Amino acid sequence: MVDEIAPAPKSAALSRETASWLLFVLGAAALLTFPLFGAGEFTITLLTEGLILGIWAMSLDLLVGFTGLVTFGHAAGFGLGAYAAGYFAQHVSSEFLLVLAVSETVVASVALVAGFVVSRISGVAFAIVTLAISQVLLQIGVAWLSVTGGMDGLIGVPLPKLFGVTVESGKSLYLMVAVILVLVYLALLRLTNSPFGRTLQAIRLSEQRAAAIGINVHLHKWLVFVISWLVAGIAGTLLVFMKAGTTPMVFNWYESGYVLAVTIFGGLGTLLGPMIGAIVVTFLHDQVISLFTAWQFVFGLAFVLAVIFFPTGLAGVAIRIWSRWWNTRS
Amino acid sequence: MEPLVEHPLLIRDLTKSFGGLRAVEGVNIELCPHHVHSLIGPNGAGKTTVLNCVSGFLRPDTGQVVLGGSEVTRWPPHRLVAAGLVRTFQITTIFAELTVRENVELAVRSRLGRNLDVIHQASRIRQAQDEAEEVLGWLGFLEKASGRGDQLSHGDKRIVEVAIALALNPKVLLLDEPMAGMSRSEAERIAVLVRRIADKTSVVLVEHDTETVLSISDRITVLVQGRVIAHGAPDEISRDAAVRKAYLGALDVE
Repeated sequence: MVDEIAPAPKSAALSRETASWLLFVLGAAALLTFPLFGAGEFTITLLTEGLILGIWAMSLDLLVGFTGLVTFGHAAGFGLGAYAAGYFAQHVSSEFLLVLAVSETVVASVALVAGFVVSRISGVAFAIVTLAISQVLLQIGVAWLSVTGGMDGLIGVPLPKLFGVTVESGKSLYLMVAVILVLVYLALLRLTNSPFGRTLQAIRLSEQRAAAIGINVHLHKWLVFVISWLVAGIAGTLLVFMKAGTTPMVFNWYESGYVLAVTIFGGLGTLLGPMIGAIVVTFLHDQVISLFTAWQFVFGLAFVLAVIFFPTGLAGVAIRIWSRWWNTRS
Repeated sequence: MEPLVEHPLLIRDLTKSFGGLRAVEGVNIELCPHHVHSLIGPNGAGKTTVLNCVSGFLRPDTGQVVLGGSEVTRWPPHRLVAAGLVRTFQITTIFAELTVRENVELAVRSRLGRNLDVIHQASRIRQAQDEAEEVLGWLGFLEKASGRGDQLSHGDKRIVEVAIALALNPKVLLLDEPMAGMSRSEAERIAVLVRRIADKTSVVLVEHDTETVLSISDRITVLVQGRVIAHGAPDEISRDAAVRKAYLGALDVE
């Protein structure tokens, strides 16, 4: 999308790619070493939350931004991951990789069934049916007392262990989340640039056209739905450890709307945008709520203004500045 | 009843209703190898419905579609494409955000079975690049290959639509009004192209422009209100009294 502005000669294009990678390495390094620069406990916790939201927003970007499937129920995979991980950590083991394997298995099983159904629909129907699915999960969360703890939810989930060593909250947990975020980003970047990723974009542009060039639209929508839930499930797993628990409200439509707004605000179809959007919104939330209780009003207003003036989101603005800077430079 | 020639595509007794409306009723078409077989008829005659039923975008009520000797009735579009039955659309549906080359590469990768590949970089698959280049070169379209889909003229978009279809190596190509909305000279360019395509594959052409159809078709089937009222070679069709009465009135003018 950037290339249309100025078709740069081949060597310049290559070095620009190198520059983008350099920027990524710097960003990742900054993210991973952030706690070393004397940030307070509170800031670290806030940023951890922002990064978890970032993973979740990237998973939604895959559906909304790349495949064009808008959903009002993306809390489902997230919440399911949180519950499965929390329950397993409480009752069996809090060894992180094991917990993740279990929660992802649970998320995958439900996503395979739900995705099979919703891959046959599009547009508003898709948005609403996925909303219904998350509300069903919410009701199960409330009603299945013996497993979910009802309205109270899961309380007192232990800290995760990594190969037997407890990951303390604060810097250690932050570091674990940051590493996972970088890995998830790289995996999704690879996925979206692969032939499979391009078929998703083809489906977004026109399902009919995609089918006419031999793309199995149902299968691809099904797969991307499952992948999206799996990534959301990773975020949910991290959240339940960070918060030491979860309530059924994690499935609430408000949460789905929130992550959708964050993703759009960050910039659809860019991965990096929703991730940065998540961090920005998390800090904004913290700043605003200490001054002013009507956070939702402020966020709503900011969201509307952002959509009107920056329809491509934060990422769109960033890409424009980056390209302009690059072009004037060379 | 053994056919004397191996027909790339046979349509037998195809029927499709929408509610109470019989859009297509008992349509038979036998496509011969390397023919341009045109389907003509006034608006609402059911031409596009036939195309949709054959290409899997609609499910016919009754009838059979036989592709290269095997029955493929009611197969979904993507399976038909894999089996060699490819269509274009009346309304241009190329991917506007992608360049011409990317549009064609997408189709090539799909044919090469790479749709589920999550490992490689889509833009660096050599074989797809080469084959897209070949198709665009064959069409004389390489100069415009880097342009974005939405920046092309209407006529060029129609060519890209054809390029995407050709990139799928069709055994049978269904062209839905490829000349719609074109200027005279652009339409002639497409007419020449359709003849060239027939050297490579077999073509079913739905088209409004009767003059062009008569000049480039090997066979013509005339549909009126969902039924076949005539079929044959172009000169037979232009002489057919029923066709003249129902449809070709415009030809009297010449």
